[in-house]
Amino acid sequence: MVKMKLYNLGKVPWYESQLIYHALAKLGQEALVLLSPSTPYVCIGFHQNPAQELDLEYCKANAIPVFRREVGGGAVYLDGDQLFFQLILRKDNPIVPKKRGVFYKKFLSPVINVYRRIGIHAEYRPINDVVVKKRKISGTGVGEIGDCIVFVGNVIRDFDYEMMERVLRVPDEKFRDKIKKSLIDNLTTIRHELGEKRAKQCDEKRLSQMLVEEFQKIIGPTEDMAMDDLLQNMVNDLKRIMLNDTWLHQKGKRKLGTEVKIRSGVKVLHRTHKAAGGLMRGDFEIRDGRFVNVSLSGDFFCFPSNGINRLEEMLEGCKTDMARRVIKEFYCKDDIETLGIGVEDWMHIFEVN
Amino acid sequence: MQIQGYNMPDDLYYEENHFWVRPEDEILVMGMDDFAQTMAGEIVYVQLPEEGKKLKKGKRFAKIESGKWLGKVYAPVNGELVEVNEELETNPGLINDDCYGKGWMFKIKPDDMAELEDLIHGPEAIEKWLLADIERYAA
Repeated sequence: MVKMKLYNLGKVPWYESQLIYHALAKLGQEALVLLSPSTPYVCIGFHQNPAQELDLEYCKANAIPVFRREVGGGAVYLDGDQLFFQLILRKDNPIVPKKRGVFYKKFLSPVINVYRRIGIHAEYRPINDVVVKKRKISGTGVGEIGDCIVFVGNVIRDFDYEMMERVLRVPDEKFRDKIKKSLIDNLTTIRHELGEKRAKQCDEKRLSQMLVEEFQKIIGPTEDMAMDDLLQNMVNDLKRIMLNDTWLHQKGKRKLGTEVKIRSGVKVLHRTHKAAGGLMRGDFEIRDGRFVNVSLSGDFFCFPSNGINRLEEMLEGCKTDMARRVIKEFYCKDDIETLGIGVEDWMHIFEVN
Repeated sequence: MQIQGYNMPDDLYYEENHFWVRPEDEILVMGMDDFAQTMAGEIVYVQLPEEGKKLKKGKRFAKIESGKWLGKVYAPVNGELVEVNEELETNPGLINDDCYGKGWMFKIKPDDMAELEDLIHGPEAIEKWLLADIERYAA
């Protein structure tokens, strides 16, 4: 039986924490990689536009590099308090399920088991989250690179909430506060769950060893490897391409307003729309399919003047797919007048695909 | 035609990675089939390459994302990309809602229309191929 390659690399330069798995996949080599970046950086999903997502000036001024990965998901602040696991499997490997949910459930089980072994009751939450009492404790994503499927994620020993919200591009400070609050409410860490003293016992080496043992239950025995010339050369080749501005700034997805995903089912949004009657602005969250903390403003005319508060109240807690119905109801009730603004204008703010 | 709950129209041609192809005069329209969109779940992003891009049969020419999974779109034939479904930029979920209609993805001018015959076509061939994939991936 061929043993799966294991690269248990400890701390590596920040860019190698991304380039090694890209390189292995492009070489078609199956492997389990465990490592952690020696310095912090920001990593964006393949479909994202860095200028739209990040405060690039802040990143530059604070020497925080930005990397675009060939993996799904969104922008994330990464540093040495997070231990990365990266599993590279050939697409035709029979242990790879095609259905997304089945894949994640299977390959997140080693991560869940590690958390449980250190005393944290982590659970799988569809489609790709590991949570402790609804709070996320591991971020994951998948990319089809070369002929391989690459599953990447992290075990979060500690998390710098402040830096995470600071590197994001946001419309104003109010929105920034919302992001930070939502991050704290929805993302936890080993340090938070176990307390300072017990968390210190869960160092990188111990967690890595446990991850190896748990992943081996699915991928079979592993063989310890060090970086060889073939892999190093591929990493160097990719460095020239993926650390280049052309790669980083390639066209991504066009976004309506600002949207920050905190965990599966939780997003903080800011949207604006220029209607005939004036500029409209909506700040709200979506939690498990419902609008929460809805705040509306703008420079349009509304009679009576407290009408907009009424719309906020009506939308609070409402299911996102009911937005149109609720807004229509708002106009049917009493004598609401919003000159030059109609249901379709509000739908620019509240439409959720 | 329905195969174990998946809608697979038998007048279409299929590429083995589950992209359908429909000839319309000199052009081929392509999209993701019902099996693939079901496996993928909610689609959040489709990369829309520039029109005029040369396509090589079996090679990746775009990316598609669902559930933090960045997947690939493969060219079913050799040819040139002549149109992309711009609607997918803001509403990629159209692929989930209507994969054979409003969720079409690309239009291709093939180098040789005869390459269609290399794709999976006809009720028997489609059923045999899909049943094998259901057993392999979705059982």
